[in-house]
Amino acid sequence: METSNQAMESKYYSKLNGDTGLIIGMLLLLVGVEGFVLYKVLSETWEISGNFFYLYIIFVGLVIGIETVGCLSVRQSIKNHMFEFKYYD
Amino acid sequence: MSEHESTSLVKTLRPFHIWALGVGIVLVGEYMGWNFTVAKGGILGSMLAMLVAGTMYVAISLCASELGSSTKLAGGPYDWARLFIGPGAAASVGLAVYMEYIALEAADAIVVAFIAQSIFPELQVFPVTLLVIALLTFINYRGVVAALTLNFFLTMIAFIAIVAFFFATAFGTVNIHPEYLFQGALPNGMIGLFAALQFGPWFYLGIEGAAMCAEECKHPSRAVPLGQQAGMITLLIGAAMTLYLCAVLIPTDLLGVSVYPLFEAAQNSEVFIFIALLGLGTFLTCVASANGCVCDSSRSWFALSRDKYVSSWFSAVHPRYNTPYRAVIFTMPVAIGFAFSGFLDQVITFSIISGLLCYVLIPFSLIRFRNLFPETTSKVRPFVGPLQPYIAYFAIAIAITILSTLFWGYKYNLIFAFVFYGIAYFYFSHRHRSSNAENNWAEMGWPLPRGSENARIGKEAMSVGDE
Repeated sequence: METSNQAMESKYYSKLNGDTGLIIGMLLLLVGVEGFVLYKVLSETWEISGNFFYLYIIFVGLVIGIETVGCLSVRQSIKNHMFEFKYYD
Repeated sequence: MSEHESTSLVKTLRPFHIWALGVGIVLVGEYMGWNFTVAKGGILGSMLAMLVAGTMYVAISLCASELGSSTKLAGGPYDWARLFIGPGAAASVGLAVYMEYIALEAADAIVVAFIAQSIFPELQVFPVTLLVIALLTFINYRGVVAALTLNFFLTMIAFIAIVAFFFATAFGTVNIHPEYLFQGALPNGMIGLFAALQFGPWFYLGIEGAAMCAEECKHPSRAVPLGQQAGMITLLIGAAMTLYLCAVLIPTDLLGVSVYPLFEAAQNSEVFIFIALLGLGTFLTCVASANGCVCDSSRSWFALSRDKYVSSWFSAVHPRYNTPYRAVIFTMPVAIGFAFSGFLDQVITFSIISGLLCYVLIPFSLIRFRNLFPETTSKVRPFVGPLQPYIAYFAIAIAITILSTLFWGYKYNLIFAFVFYGIAYFYFSHRHRSSNAENNWAEMGWPLPRGSENARIGKEAMSVGDE
């Protein structure tokens, strides 16, 4: 009985790590792509965009910041409820 | 309605189905449509619109994740407004969601027909549009799992096409023109930055629909937040990649009026594999979007029918396939009517205004939900969204700002939409004031909302006073 519980726990944590890896991978891609595009566009248009570049910095910060905190909350929620709701059976 | 027809919807969906539903509906907006932001505000206006709309959608997707995983109902925004705001708002949102998706389905089916005709010139647009709508209705009639598994593959191919093209361009495999960025940076001056906002939602329009299959999920408290957030990140990545690719491969004056900008960017790259991939991607995203729209619009109509806002005849569930089959079939004549109305641009604008109305009422539903049910138990709120209610207020402010920009160029559409939803609000508020029973919270396994005890005591005191 104890062995089967341990096996289940190990399976659950392994699946949780899979979900976490997916989220982290996508967030890293998001930061990389947004940073690259922002840099390329602003550097090519600096003569014009230099006056209001902070608008882009504010909104890209909001997008990445809120999404990152949101994803951390999703992970925490899955971790809290995975055994209660049997997510990975 | 016979008893066996009222069985519940089948609970089989997983996070990747939610991702496929959300991204499948929206990705078409990255293959076409978003580039009108460039016509209004140039590359800088388009990039700001992408980021401002992105901020609003990130906040709304977090609101939808919390509401969807808590209520676990098929109506999505309609059910949230019904439970936490009232019958008038619920009917307006239910109709807005229905109109938003069914108009989008019609537009997608027509584009699929035009693409098919450009490949095979002997084909006629009318019968192909009809065939696409009929085929997708049939797939959704047969079962939600089959419909969304199909969406998963179509969407994945279309997204991979964008990613492959982007990395090939970023690593120098494709010849680009960085000078296009400066030439078309801000053609209409600072006012263009503001005007471009009205088409910003194209990058993400419809992602909130991912939560509409919560009732059909195996584990909605995991599938809805995980699938929805993964979908939102996918769209943010896709939007940034699309903007960059098109901006460095198509001159701005042509980009602003292009019908298929990503496909055109691939053609300008002169690399055959990307021309083929992006051509296929354009076709597949239209099919995936129309497919997801059939799914979401039918769920909204089903939910309206289940609560008797429209005829309860539509709320029957198929005894074998466990789908709301009458609501699914009913999408077909309405979509055909929209498709052949001859005013497709007006229909699409109506779809955007309907979506923006939802983006005001979804965060408002969350604020009301948190006020009525402040406790965070697993039963009431298995997923607790962060930074609430501040991001909900912020999303409402952005949605109203974008709505106000539509006054430039789409004044009559805006007035018509306000009149339409205003009438719906007052009609259904009046009709359901007397007939609507109080929400049965116990049936959902929830406690009574905050303040309901005082309201009940107040009502009893008033009735004693009357006696």
